[in-house]
Amino acid sequence: MVRLITHNLLACHVRGCTSNNFPLVFKDVQLQLKEAEYNPDFLRGFMPKLEWKALVDTAKSLNNQSLPDQAPEPQAANEEFLKILHHVLLEIHVEEGAMLCPNCSHVYPISNGIPNMLLQEHEL
Amino acid sequence: MGKRYLLHYAIAHPEFRFPELQSISELFDFNVGLPEEEEERDPNRHFLIVELEDEAHARTIAKRCILIRAVYELWATATTYGELHQEMRLNQDLWKPFSTETFCFDVTASNHKIPDARQKDIIEDFAYMAYTGDIRIKGATNVLTYLEEYPRKNIVRSKSEGDRNFQRAYFGRLIEKGGCRELVYKFDVKQRAYYGNTTMEAEMSLLMANQALAAPGKLIYDPFVGTGSMLYTAAHFGAMVLGSDIDGRQMRGKRLTTPGIIQSASQYGVAHRILDCCTFDITRNPFRTGGILDAIVSDPPYGVRAGAKRLGRAKERPTQVPPEGTEYTISYPRMPYELSELTIDLILLARHLLRPGGRLVWFLPTVTEEYQDVDIPDCEGMELVANSEQNFGKWGRRLITMRKASSDDFPYPSFNAATRHAELGGKGTPSATSGHKDFREKYFARFPSTKKIVKEGKPLG
Repeated sequence: MVRLITHNLLACHVRGCTSNNFPLVFKDVQLQLKEAEYNPDFLRGFMPKLEWKALVDTAKSLNNQSLPDQAPEPQAANEEFLKILHHVLLEIHVEEGAMLCPNCSHVYPISNGIPNMLLQEHEL
Repeated sequence: MGKRYLLHYAIAHPEFRFPELQSISELFDFNVGLPEEEEERDPNRHFLIVELEDEAHARTIAKRCILIRAVYELWATATTYGELHQEMRLNQDLWKPFSTETFCFDVTASNHKIPDARQKDIIEDFAYMAYTGDIRIKGATNVLTYLEEYPRKNIVRSKSEGDRNFQRAYFGRLIEKGGCRELVYKFDVKQRAYYGNTTMEAEMSLLMANQALAAPGKLIYDPFVGTGSMLYTAAHFGAMVLGSDIDGRQMRGKRLTTPGIIQSASQYGVAHRILDCCTFDITRNPFRTGGILDAIVSDPPYGVRAGAKRLGRAKERPTQVPPEGTEYTISYPRMPYELSELTIDLILLARHLLRPGGRLVWFLPTVTEEYQDVDIPDCEGMELVANSEQNFGKWGRRLITMRKASSDDFPYPSFNAATRHAELGGKGTPSATSGHKDFREKYFARFPSTKKIVKEGKPLG
């Protein structure tokens, strides 16, 4: 778990950390690839909500260069592109490691695929 | 004009019947014509006659409604046996087209057993239909069904007592057996690989998935995921699901390898639809943006078995900063989260996170005696769709379904006591004495009656 679709929705939420707090940077990760169900409608519906550059950069940081730098319009997206997007968003799982805030350097550890995004008292 | 169909219901959760039917018709985009007379819509009866434009809609209802046992195409219905046959003779157009296909008869009753001898007579009384197709006990194309509805009796009696004194009789062709009654057994908590002490029962979690309009291509989130009950059923109907909880131990379970939620999801074959489970507090949540979810489904902790908590300190004291150089102290201060505050925050968060038209479905526990309709916070941009009570006597819980009725973007909620009510922007503010305020305290005080206090006090005037 911690798929890139979820990663694309999560920003650092430490108090006062409001700029440059997204995307979180993966660190010391262990990856797993798991097959997921392909649903083009789901992908098209979700595309407008994605931060594309963050997704491309994060995928690259996990050694996946398959995404184009510019996203096509959801309705113009062809099958070939959607299959790639499907793989990147839903089939790459970060099982162990951490996510690091590029701004305040808060570390969100991931264990058994579940990220711990709780904050400590001084961060609330 | 459509045809009449007979819906045979299981008598469970009467208040959930119409909301569910409405949700399924909305999800699959068709109309359901309901009877006009109040008595014909009584949700405590086994049968409901509806009008549908297409047989496919009847099949959808049978496949997707949790509370349905079977759906029939209705050929005749009457309060007396003679009238039923009269109507049958008038409605030849309905049943003639099937006369050459294979068929069998099913004679049955609700709250009653028709004696075997009379069952045979009943079948023979339909001889005028003159069906020429082969009779097949198993695998017949058409199952012609005669049903008698008897009033419910709460006394011990022989199964056939009061025979023929039925309320109403129905005759029709079986369209489809309800497909979801079996799911109640499939999702039985006792058979589940991983569950906890506050895991939602199977039938209710299925009903919640229906209220959330769970379907392929949707993204559904549970902010108090616990052991994941709501995720499995929503995922079963094809939705992608996300969960979060302030307490990660509930999601992980005892074993340190595969999280408990994934173990159960694998048992149901839906692990690939569990997008992620994250540990965080909804009042300090890391969502980057709103407008992303199709539904939020949740059973928030109401403080009896699982106390609601949020990050923070209940009592003011100097904030402790970890000494320089230490990275983790793994101490997350928690403070109680009062239910009426949590309720408002949940609605405000839903308004921010949902897409236009998205739904919020959650359980609100209330003290039966104190409950008033105004207890459901009135929130600008959110519209109440359904409010169904499951009554446990002195208290109950209400399944509330709300819809984001606005296409505006709403801000991230403040989660702050001072501004919470103002953010709702509704016409009325919830009363301070709502039937769910301080629910925990009232529960453990065994729900002292407020009416009694008035009675024992000074007589008015």
